[in-house]
Amino acid sequence: MRFTVAFARAVATPASGWCSACVDVLDVSGAGITMMSGGQTGPLCVSSKRMANLEDLQFTMGEGPCRDAYASGRPVHAPRFDAGIFARWPAFVEQARDSGIGGVFAYPMSSNGAKIGVLTLYQDLEGELTSGQHQDSRVMAGVLAETMLSMQDNAPLGVLADGLQDAVAYRAEIHQASGMVSIQLQVPVAEALVRIRAHAFASGIPVGAVAAEIVARRLRLSDDRQELAEGV
Amino acid sequence: MIPVSNESEQRAIQRQALTATTFVEIVDTLVDDFDVIDVLTQLALRSVELLEAAAAGILLADPDGNLRVIGASTEKVGLLELFQIQNDEGPCLDCYNSGAVVSNAGLDDTPSPWPRFAEESVRAGFPSVCAVPLRLKDLVLGCLNLFMSEPVSLSTAEVALAQALADVASIAIVQDQATREAAVREGHLQHALTSRISIEQAKGMISERSHVEMDEAFDRLRSYARNNNRGLTEVAESLVAGTINIDAVWDRRRVPPPPATTPERRAQS
Repeated sequence: MRFTVAFARAVATPASGWCSACVDVLDVSGAGITMMSGGQTGPLCVSSKRMANLEDLQFTMGEGPCRDAYASGRPVHAPRFDAGIFARWPAFVEQARDSGIGGVFAYPMSSNGAKIGVLTLYQDLEGELTSGQHQDSRVMAGVLAETMLSMQDNAPLGVLADGLQDAVAYRAEIHQASGMVSIQLQVPVAEALVRIRAHAFASGIPVGAVAAEIVARRLRLSDDRQELAEGV
Repeated sequence: MIPVSNESEQRAIQRQALTATTFVEIVDTLVDDFDVIDVLTQLALRSVELLEAAAAGILLADPDGNLRVIGASTEKVGLLELFQIQNDEGPCLDCYNSGAVVSNAGLDDTPSPWPRFAEESVRAGFPSVCAVPLRLKDLVLGCLNLFMSEPVSLSTAEVALAQALADVASIAIVQDQATREAAVREGHLQHALTSRISIEQAKGMISERSHVEMDEAFDRLRSYARNNNRGLTEVAESLVAGTINIDAVWDRRRVPPPPATTPERRAQS
């Protein structure tokens, strides 16, 4: 009952508030919701800046619980960052530890086999979720997926529903920067994105911040293929 | 007497085992990705074995209410015609309309409510027929049609088994439809997401090429799409894919920007 009431409140709020609602309802330290479309991803919301950086890192590095949960279609549990988990996601684990995260749990958001995205839950302390939390998280991921599909059902074809615009808005600068870099370096947009990610990784700056610099014309990526070779 | 009883007992046991195997087998296929035609054909084949029928078919109503065969135990021409006739008359049509089991064991000797169907069925070697509804709550999706080579009725237990098989068929159909629908909805969502991404990328390309801010770049993208009678997303995707030359969009001589209305510009002119 507690879950139902809290959930009703969660979906009644704009999508940007879903993660805070997940934190309350599921009793975890942090949450992030990411929409996936092939290789393209966009966080719809995060419960705090820490989670924003961690979701961002998974996008930059192409590794982490989010991607694994999406690819396998099954929940991914990392109640503590042991050697096995570290070997799987070295960069993610390093930053997660630095941010004071003890464990992470990712749930694929799907409806009747249609994969929409991933709900990632972060815990400050190490340890498994209770079976109740686990059950509720699975239900929450499914209901959020259905809610997103229903929102999109009411939008004109080809136009992202108003409530889901945040998934792109957050990344808008990254996509704009990709377009700019593709002109600067005369490379396809997809390659431009790889160059931006490589630069972010090499300089230890979040990919969003690099993109913001490019869009503000304070940064131009040099046409140096070396960077790509070293970076990724 | 004893050997006969043993033999019929033996057959009952065999049938029970086959029934169990059939349900396990079908439920198993429904867990993962499955081909609905394949499952329904398998169900038709198993109904023939389990109910000692000569032939069986699963018919589904299309959106216009026409019954169409989706899976049959045999592809014999005579049988397909028997299914076809039932869009006008026959046990399946009655079963579909009423949602109740329809069975007739004496097509050859009693005046039939479906004279044309009865004549064809007897000629094809099926003096006895039964139709069991495929139901989803109050909705009737179609029916399981059984044809027997002897003029005998199915027992109550056999009709119950036929209904159970029909229910499994309904589950397979509903599950398949839900999966298809979800795939279409997912496609819409993904398309909306990627088109928004393409627009942002195209804005970045135009902004860089013509040294304008993002909102001005968006205006140019829009006017190019309008002037060329093309969709915004399509133009953005073509720019990203390189099938529209970026210079075509930013070139002021060919695509004039919206008229300047800012006070400074007016003062200058």
